[in-house]
Amino acid sequence: MKLTTPRLMIIIGSILIGIMISNQMKLNLETITPVTIKSIIDSKNELDSIKREILNLEKTIEAKYKELELLESTQTGEASIVDILKQDVRNNKIQAGYSALKGPGIEIVMFDNIDLEELSFNFSNDIIHDVDILNIINDLRIAGAEAISINDQRVMSSSEIKCGGPIIRINGVSIGTPFIIKAIGDPQMLMASINAPGTYGHTLRTVYGIGINPYSSDNIVIHGYQGIIQFDYAKPVGEGG
Amino acid sequence: MGYALIGILIGGIIGFLLPYTYNTAYTLYISVAILASLDSVFGGIRANLEGKFNTKIFVTGFFGNALLAAFLAYIGDRLGVPLYYAAIFTFGGRLFDNFAQIRRIWLTKERPVKTTNK
Repeated sequence: MKLTTPRLMIIIGSILIGIMISNQMKLNLETITPVTIKSIIDSKNELDSIKREILNLEKTIEAKYKELELLESTQTGEASIVDILKQDVRNNKIQAGYSALKGPGIEIVMFDNIDLEELSFNFSNDIIHDVDILNIINDLRIAGAEAISINDQRVMSSSEIKCGGPIIRINGVSIGTPFIIKAIGDPQMLMASINAPGTYGHTLRTVYGIGINPYSSDNIVIHGYQGIIQFDYAKPVGEGG
Repeated sequence: MGYALIGILIGGIIGFLLPYTYNTAYTLYISVAILASLDSVFGGIRANLEGKFNTKIFVTGFFGNALLAAFLAYIGDRLGVPLYYAAIFTFGGRLFDNFAQIRRIWLTKERPVKTTNK
């Protein structure tokens, strides 16, 4: 192979390429991913949420320490373990929805459109559906409702609200109009969540003619859940997760 | 083709033996530059086989393309637009074009007679 100028030039060029390639390999790089503004914001959000989580966990640790102190005080005889456990059971029952609760809140009476003039040919627009109830309840929860019941059926985390023609079913019990929804919470906030323009309740009342009469009270009583919660499929795997 | 491969091997060994490395921040630019100069070398081989190799064109193409590609990558980084895609597509496409031409020249001019004799 005669070494002509072109060949020499090509060899020099390829040597340069070889040097560059081997240098690149020496750096032992992982895959290069360009950093975009979006990815920066994403990782920042992630960091923020992790920090928040850490704060929450620290609060939990504090609470657990207090609990521990309380339990230790039973050893010295300052507090009785039975009292502590009773208090615990009471708290748990309140949180689970098994105890009746009392407090300020609102009561909403809902009934179907009673106007003689029909809204449309579809009578279904004139009656209350499960979705309407669900949306109202969700609005109440957003407004900070601490306990909700429908016709004295406590709305639990597992409560179903099912359409059954002119009635709805909740906690396995069929109820008909008028629906009386009770909610304990800040009465003003709860009232606003039903009455404010743009909310679901406002639309139901003004557009569909559904009767919604909310009134606030300082003394709303909400009964506890009567049924039994039983888990057939879910199994506990420890606290948190 | 053969001497280009030998050259890359020699260069690779030299590069591994050299104690110099550059900042990791430049890797993108260097890799685009590698692609551009690889295209130039393939173009050079092709021109050589076609008998119209010009040293000036080769040298200016080799460095010019590499610099332009690296510059595009740099500007793209500054502007937030991945401009180095332009270099990758152009030089990548041309690389395969050149290789196809080299193959054609090889297979049609020299090899057929020899391979049939084997």
